[in-house]
Amino acid sequence: MKQQSFSPKARWDRHIPEDSNAAIPELLNEKIECLVLFKAAKIQPQMFTWRNRDYEIKTINYNWQERRGQEIVHYFSVSTGSDSYQISFNNTSLRWQVDRIFT
Amino acid sequence: MILHIDMDAFFASIEQAINPRLKGKPLIVGSRNNKLHTVICAASYEAKRLGIGSGMSSREAFQICPNLEFVCAEQGKYIWTSEQIFEMLKSYGLPLSYASIDEFQMDIAAHPEPLKLAEDIRKRIYANFNITASVGIAKNWLLAKTASKINKPNGVTLINDDNLRGILGRTPLEKVCGMGGKTGALLSSRGFKTALDLYLKMPAFFQDYPGKFSEEPEKPKSIGHSYTLPRALENPLVIRAWIRLLSEMVGERLRHKNLAAKTVHLWLNGPEIGNFGAQKTSSLATNDSFELYSRSFKIACLIPLNRPKIRALGVTASQLIPQESLSLFIEQKRREGLITTLDRINSRFGDGSIYPAQVDLTRSIK
Repeated sequence: MKQQSFSPKARWDRHIPEDSNAAIPELLNEKIECLVLFKAAKIQPQMFTWRNRDYEIKTINYNWQERRGQEIVHYFSVSTGSDSYQISFNNTSLRWQVDRIFT
Repeated sequence: MILHIDMDAFFASIEQAINPRLKGKPLIVGSRNNKLHTVICAASYEAKRLGIGSGMSSREAFQICPNLEFVCAEQGKYIWTSEQIFEMLKSYGLPLSYASIDEFQMDIAAHPEPLKLAEDIRKRIYANFNITASVGIAKNWLLAKTASKINKPNGVTLINDDNLRGILGRTPLEKVCGMGGKTGALLSSRGFKTALDLYLKMPAFFQDYPGKFSEEPEKPKSIGHSYTLPRALENPLVIRAWIRLLSEMVGERLRHKNLAAKTVHLWLNGPEIGNFGAQKTSSLATNDSFELYSRSFKIACLIPLNRPKIRALGVTASQLIPQESLSLFIEQKRREGLITTLDRINSRFGDGSIYPAQVDLTRSIK
């Protein structure tokens, strides 16, 4: 049953001007190599290589998806033990990237 | 019986689930990416205990708690989570509907153990999403919604004929949906203090909300978009660009629903004009974004001031009718073909992938 009470905000939010006092952590958007387990109809990243360093994923804290036209981007919040990262996978370009480091 | 599920501090809880370092900390989610110049759209329970809540300015919140954590709202993850929760709730096989992005209502009239069901739902939500929900159960939606707010966070409240007076008698009037603003203040001035006062003296108010479980998609009465600018602007070209952007958004949604609008309403807010709103009705219904913009712009020209500063604005289309696809003239057909093509491009590559050049001025806030 489609939701009736509200409408998802369109990507017109791209038009919101950048603010010089922006507090959002810097988006890295850097390509990574990722080892992934596809199990029980879920994508489970296991480890990734970023800037020639390997990061073993201890926990997947959260995951969600966003649609951009026909593309679907799968987002994951992962912890490597000491740090947490947001990584993502684009199902059209098949690109894995690290979006940001959580501080 | 209606079971009403209300997620606890939904946006803030999701952000804490995503970034474990934020757990247990006072956190606010801002509607705009400027921690000192935005409005709070969600606060964690740790922040709420300090008196910080949604609707408050972030500046005020940071004065209360300088060590507050701040995250800018990113709607995609909240919408996705809401949809996943809804899909999970569908597995119970009971009539189900959205009440809002973080509230769901279920008709459990046939269910023998409502409290057990409520506990099962809460456990599954936590297991799958690492966030909590509060549940209210009562004979109608409004009572169930009121009940869901009583034992927050992470609680369950059942209102039945035995405990109704006791529970409503302890519930302040403003906790009832629709009683938080002017209506609540008016009733409060007339002696209504608790939800029980409202229930006894205005029983129809509760009876008019049995719950919304129609299988038919609700036809909207209006479609609109509004935006509050980071600061008041007086550049007329930029203001026109914002009216154009909002008109594009409204037009896209109208076309998506195969509707056209006869009436366009423009609303502007600024320090010199206060709240200005006017509408124009045409015999010819439209869902052409440029036509919506043209009609809105004519309304904007009614403002008597020259170059008024504008802080917020909104475009709304109403008197909606099903779209009629009879185009008689070649130019009209070409225009419809263009609009269809633009919609297809945005559908494929994401809304806002292609847009009128005028809209680019919205990126400038000078």
